[in-house]
Amino acid sequence: MAATASSILVVDDDPDICRNIADILTDLGYHVDTATGGRAALELIRRRAYEVALLDLKMPDMDGLTLYREIKSVQAATVAIVVSAYASDAVTDAALAAGVWHVLPKPVDLSRLLGLVSVVVGQPLVLIVDDDAELCKNLWDLLRERGYRVCLAHSEQQATERLQARSFDVAVIDMRLPDGDGSAVFQLVRQYSPEARTVLITGFGIELNPLLERVKAEGADAICYKPFDVPRLLELLQQLTRSGGGTPTSTGSGSPSAQEPA
Amino acid sequence: MNPDELFRRYQELQQYVGWTEEDGQRVQALAPLFDPHLHALIDDFYVEIQRHPAALQVITGGQPQIERLKGTLRAWLRELLHGPYDRDYVARRWRVGWRHVDIGLDQVYTNVALSRLRQGLLKVHEQSCQGDAREALAARASLNMLLDLDLAIIEDAYQTEYLARQQRSERLATIGQVAAGVAHELRNPLNVVKTSVYYLLNARQPTAAKTAEHLQRIEKHVVLADNVITTLSNFAKMPLPNLQPFSLETCLRAAVEDNPGPGNVQVDFVMPPTLPPALADPDQIAIVFSNLIRNARDAMPNGGQLTLQATAMDSAVLVHVKDTGVGIAPELLHRIMEPLYSTKARGLGLGLAMARAILEKNKGAMSVHSEVGKGSVFTVRLLAAHTKSEE
Repeated sequence: MAATASSILVVDDDPDICRNIADILTDLGYHVDTATGGRAALELIRRRAYEVALLDLKMPDMDGLTLYREIKSVQAATVAIVVSAYASDAVTDAALAAGVWHVLPKPVDLSRLLGLVSVVVGQPLVLIVDDDAELCKNLWDLLRERGYRVCLAHSEQQATERLQARSFDVAVIDMRLPDGDGSAVFQLVRQYSPEARTVLITGFGIELNPLLERVKAEGADAICYKPFDVPRLLELLQQLTRSGGGTPTSTGSGSPSAQEPA
Repeated sequence: MNPDELFRRYQELQQYVGWTEEDGQRVQALAPLFDPHLHALIDDFYVEIQRHPAALQVITGGQPQIERLKGTLRAWLRELLHGPYDRDYVARRWRVGWRHVDIGLDQVYTNVALSRLRQGLLKVHEQSCQGDAREALAARASLNMLLDLDLAIIEDAYQTEYLARQQRSERLATIGQVAAGVAHELRNPLNVVKTSVYYLLNARQPTAAKTAEHLQRIEKHVVLADNVITTLSNFAKMPLPNLQPFSLETCLRAAVEDNPGPGNVQVDFVMPPTLPPALADPDQIAIVFSNLIRNARDAMPNGGQLTLQATAMDSAVLVHVKDTGVGIAPELLHRIMEPLYSTKARGLGLGLAMARAILEKNKGAMSVHSEVGKGSVFTVRLLAAHTKSEE
């Protein structure tokens, strides 16, 4: 097992199913918390950055999709897998559209579920620091589709909180934030995720040049100018996560090795 | 319907309109007069149809089909004019109505189409009829009667077939609903069983306590799954009630005890000491109260007050089950007693439907009053057993 166990949140209104999934995952070395309702789940989400959330759809206090939307707004990097007895096509489509990664029918196929969990914990974790919420949403969709876990921060303050909570493989930083010029965030990345590769985003090439030069000299890996070329950014991320510090680490001990299912 | 039954029905309708052998002979005597004009009548009929999209849309085969249909209409008119008006004649008329349901042609088009043909026939008769005016009028009356009988049998066939198809599709919808409800209720316990089995088979470090816990959990959920099936089959075949006088208070208190809550709901009994015993099957009424108490508790996840109040009224006793819970939206009120309808995350949606079915068999009734955000009151009405003082 890695130094800190990957953590998984299990939400189902049947406490017995929570206990069972928790037993299975704990036995494999994961840290597991359980909640039997949406409100309890949100309490947990605010206190810990989970790698994976396993969600039931039909619960008395909140439906699973509403819960996932809330989770996403708090912890966008938490990857959701829905397990439901109602896994019809319409339900599945709605869940996937909301950003859920996979929808599995009940009774759940455990080797598939465990395979998916072990894939998630191996996916590179990217922090995007940008105050443009729309751009963040687009990047979330684009990067998620390519197998990255994407954490969002819209300010230096938020970025600080994110960086304190977990370590990242890549940080993509907008050089102009409402509460700072991005170089402070860059320093924070250096401090909290020293292994992380960094990409700077800027819309003001000329006037920020000295600052960019300085940050570049301090070790930033790349600079992207807005409006940036999406394929190039994706290619860059792929290079950065393939080589060096950002290499995804396997959780080792327990997780059954599994390929990303189609 | 078999051809003999149809023919008997046709004969009954003939009697109703006063059709006799003579009417048949009059129409058949006109046949040679009409035969040269049938072609024009049929052409006119299809020219008109082509002006009506709703009628035309059932003709999906284009011009070749129209030519075939013209042949069918010609045969129909020839049979109409020449008879004989026997068993096979009626069976063929019946098939017309049946076929219209099949192709989705609304019956109103049969009605207006027949009206148009009738006008055409009467016009031909008027223009080419020579001889006695009284005889001509009688012949027209006979022709009208015959057309009305044809229309009646076609419409009868249409309605019968339409209804049968509707019932079939409703039955299929119900089966689908039951299947979906049962599927969900069974998949949850199956999911627990499956995951416990997985743990028992694959865990790296299972302690003896964990192993025992999972075995017990499997047993618990097998029982839960079995209960789902028992509930469903009980609903399908409710035994006849064994009506007897019993104490409502005892029954209600037992129901509250059998359905304990998390402790944040305060339960109050308001029972007048003079309350007469109820007359019903106490075991079945216990199911009704249990369902209502469980619903009331479910409606108050954050606690509240459950009041069980009984009152005597004439020859009845009323039990009000009142909660201070979430309430039921007005648009859902008429649905909550439908079988397989549920607003809860768990459950088949049979509780209130079962309560209502039980009360019907026990000569009782149930009504509901609810306000969103304030709570609901379910009122159960049962017969009062005659007390000694009344006898």
